Amino acid sequence: MSSKVITIAKRELRSYFDSLVAYVVVGGSMLGLGIWFFLMQQGGFWQIDRASLGRMFDFLPWALSAMVLPLVTMRSLAEEKRTGTLELLITMPVTDADVILGKYLAALGLVAVLLLATFLYPVALFVFPWHLGALDWGPLVSGYVGTLLLSAAGLGVGLAFSAVSDSQIVAFFFTALTLIFLHVVGNVVELVHGPVADVISFVSFQTRFAPFARGLIDMRAVVYFLSVTALSLLFAFRSLESRKWN
Amino acid sequence: MSSELMIQTQDLTKSYGSFTAVDRISFEVRRGEIVGFLGPNGAGKSTTMRILTCYLAPTGGTARVNGKDVFSDTLGVRQSLGYLPQRAPLYLDMSVLEYLQFAADLRELDASTFKKRARNVVEVCGLAQVLGKEISELSHGYRQRVGLAQALIHDPPILILDEPTSDLDPNEKTEFLEYLKRIGQERTVLLSTHNLSEVEAACARAIIVSRGRVVADGALSDIRARSGSVSTSIMVAAENMSGSSVSQVEIKSALDALKGVSKVEAPPSNGQAYRYELATPQDVDLRADLYRLAVQKGWVLLELVRASQALEDVFRDLTLGDERKNREISAA
Repeated sequence: MSSKVITIAKRELRSYFDSLVAYVVVGGSMLGLGIWFFLMQQGGFWQIDRASLGRMFDFLPWALSAMVLPLVTMRSLAEEKRTGTLELLITMPVTDADVILGKYLAALGLVAVLLLATFLYPVALFVFPWHLGALDWGPLVSGYVGTLLLSAAGLGVGLAFSAVSDSQIVAFFFTALTLIFLHVVGNVVELVHGPVADVISFVSFQTRFAPFARGLIDMRAVVYFLSVTALSLLFAFRSLESRKWN
Repeated sequence: MSSELMIQTQDLTKSYGSFTAVDRISFEVRRGEIVGFLGPNGAGKSTTMRILTCYLAPTGGTARVNGKDVFSDTLGVRQSLGYLPQRAPLYLDMSVLEYLQFAADLRELDASTFKKRARNVVEVCGLAQVLGKEISELSHGYRQRVGLAQALIHDPPILILDEPTSDLDPNEKTEFLEYLKRIGQERTVLLSTHNLSEVEAACARAIIVSRGRVVADGALSDIRARSGSVSTSIMVAAENMSGSSVSQVEIKSALDALKGVSKVEAPPSNGQAYRYELATPQDVDLRADLYRLAVQKGWVLLELVRASQALEDVFRDLTLGDERKNREISAA
């Protein structure tokens, strides 16, 4: 990977932390997770009496799809196009692919920081200061792998919308709606039959993610999430390149 | 060396659907030249510059920068130039130093080269006081200086500056143009502006575009000569040498009667003195005749100036169609 990708990613990541975005994303997610984890759903974590963090993975994919991923990617290209800074960036000796990859890596980095922060939960509850029992670490690890893959795909989709739009708000809503749709569409599977159901369970993030939360690393799902990522980035790249012709 | 072609365009064309922003523009710029790229708003200046910097692709024709094709060697082109887009769009959340470091990293300057170059551009762009400040806190003039600094950080042979002086105050402008002349000796500078006095101050040559086409290209003196007329201005006091008042009608008719005068214009006066603008062909010099006339009539001569043809007038003649088109609503 070229050093220019790293330079762009570093700048982008810095700007996340210089603005409120990073703090809103990490702080807000932790707060939401806390409320969900301890207070909601059958009375919260303490009431169900089980040494499991499964409920964390009920929450994270939702929060990521509906809020975090769209919030993280909305500015990436849309804002640069609006303010004109993209022109100065692209007329430096960098390729369009450097720009897309740099921005993508920075977004992924921020989400990785968020996921790292949520790791406080298993550590605090099962290692130090509390020892609530023997945690089955397998599903936890696979759950994190799944969450990261889902985030990778969602960020790709977000970057693609940011690349076609001049407005962060528009990029945010289109990304959020698309990701929510890809998520909830899995619920419809039980209502329909035949090829439609197959297609739905093929594209649904929820259906794809479910095995990870149970401790399985499903290679088909891995390939699916990575394919969505690659296709989205390719789309973003093409869209950035199309400025030359329009 | 001095004849080396640094920028070369041949029938460069850019159309958006049925609208042609740049229409078969051809020109050449050599090493060591500072060329003013002039034209009214919307004439295609920025579009041409964006093609030269590989931000846009042309729909027709070719362009070479530093011998490299803007189509096939976009990285090579961008490596050899420094570009300041209109209104200096910078990342506002970075400090000046961080921004320069960022630009240097993307241009792959090593640490010691950066240090050396940074010291140099900070000095010439006058940024020492604001190095640690966030760009969002800077005035537009300073932002433009930072924009220029990033364009110079890698010591490029070619500079493309899109209205670099638009946000500068008069002092900054003068300083900037002085500086440009200094660095332009061994570089190639293409500078767009609609301020003609700037072109006169810094450029030996101008390219004037109008509605996507080149309408004039050459030394300023040649472009000026194109209009073919010269204006002489004269100011006469309202009281003549014997203290009695002079009538405007009388002055006007005497001036009209002079040989070689094609037109006499009288701008509004303040009642204490009258000014007249006389248009003549370029080879006629009226000054001696005017002095004799004043002595003969007993006028008190306050001013007598033979103006070299103003570039403004030539510019207006060449690009007038643009404005007229703006004010017409077509039947379509």
